[in-house]
Amino acid sequence: MTASKQRVQEQHAFLLHSHPFRETSLIVEIFSREHGRLPIVARGARRPRAALRGVLMSFQPLLLSWFGKGEVKTLHSAEWQGGQPQLQGTALMCGFYLNELLLNLLVRDDPHEALFEYYRLTLHRLAHEDDHAATLRCFEKHLLQELGYALALEREAGSGKPIAPDVIYRYVVERGALPEEAAQEGMPVRGKTLLDMATDDYRDPLTAQQSKQLMRLLLNHHLGGKALHTRELIKDLQKL
Amino acid sequence: MNTPTSLEALIDALRCLPGVGPKSAQRMAYHLLQRDKSGALRLAHTLEQAVGNLRHCAKCNSFSEEEVCSLCSSGKRDDSLLCVVEMPADLLMMEQTQCYRGMYFVLMGRLSPLDGVVARDLPLERLIRRAQEQSCEVILATNFTVEGDATAHYLATLLRAQGIKVSRIARGLPVGGELEHVDSGTLAQAVLERREVRE
Repeated sequence: MTASKQRVQEQHAFLLHSHPFRETSLIVEIFSREHGRLPIVARGARRPRAALRGVLMSFQPLLLSWFGKGEVKTLHSAEWQGGQPQLQGTALMCGFYLNELLLNLLVRDDPHEALFEYYRLTLHRLAHEDDHAATLRCFEKHLLQELGYALALEREAGSGKPIAPDVIYRYVVERGALPEEAAQEGMPVRGKTLLDMATDDYRDPLTAQQSKQLMRLLLNHHLGGKALHTRELIKDLQKL
Repeated sequence: MNTPTSLEALIDALRCLPGVGPKSAQRMAYHLLQRDKSGALRLAHTLEQAVGNLRHCAKCNSFSEEEVCSLCSSGKRDDSLLCVVEMPADLLMMEQTQCYRGMYFVLMGRLSPLDGVVARDLPLERLIRRAQEQSCEVILATNFTVEGDATAHYLATLLRAQGIKVSRIARGLPVGGELEHVDSGTLAQAVLERREVRE
């Protein structure tokens, strides 16, 4: 490969996380539209007057250029795109939650363009809407779908019969919704909850509650038992 | 040639410093042993002393040799204000401004869920007790990074629930800053957080 091929120009990207590297640099973990999740070194980004300081912020749409052939690339330039107010308060905590999910569930160098666009939309909704729970449920559903674990919400597993709104089902991980008598395990869930989730409608309080439990069950399964720190922090905040 | 054990141990010990990998640690060890033996001894001595003598001030939680640090015990400070900062370096910077005469509380960190730092890792109970004892206004001066903002939000919720008055330092253009040269993120946020011009 020639040097010019290793250079990636002006990619739409979001910063997921950053940590200090050496005396004045940062390693940033980014989520880019065409290259997926990858780590980049931003040299000199921690110098007192570095122009990059106000640019390399999480939850802000960026245009990044980088080069390098190793696993960790080197940042060439970063441009702030704007249009997205900085997240505040609870919305900020929810933003951390999105990033923690992406850091734990996305494999590096695996592009997910549709998910990238959905992440952008989700940040926009967090900044402009108040019902963060619904926004998070929609994102979780799209995330699982993009990763290849789409939920079967409109048909019974096995028989393929349509889900009826007033029947209680049991949702079994990696299988789907089964009639209550056909499964001993799995989470009990109302048919209407599944149908509401299929259309991203979370206005029904019982749907909101059950979908949260169902998503937690599924995400925990895919996280392999790893606890999410943001979940703990949001729970602590709600107790105050 | 095998590396002697004590040299190996020194190189290994130096790696506990942030940003020091095996190569830098080796260079430091050779420098200390070959070129600056007295410096090495002084380093060993002061390190031992610092670790042995320093503790956290009972009031502000910053490093102190005494139970209560000189700043907290000076008696010349305004105890109706309590400024919360992340690190002792931030406290020193605040002091350099010479505009703040209140008391401090140093968190010795910030909430950073993505690094696994959550509420129970910070001395929040001590902060609440401190703010209640003093019945003062709390000024949140954590950094304007996403983690600093998250910490400020958490502290504000926590302290308000206890009926304590909370404020956050302002952000915007730097003093003497020209719009032409300021970064877009700062300018955009300054416009969003603009305030009314008073007479």
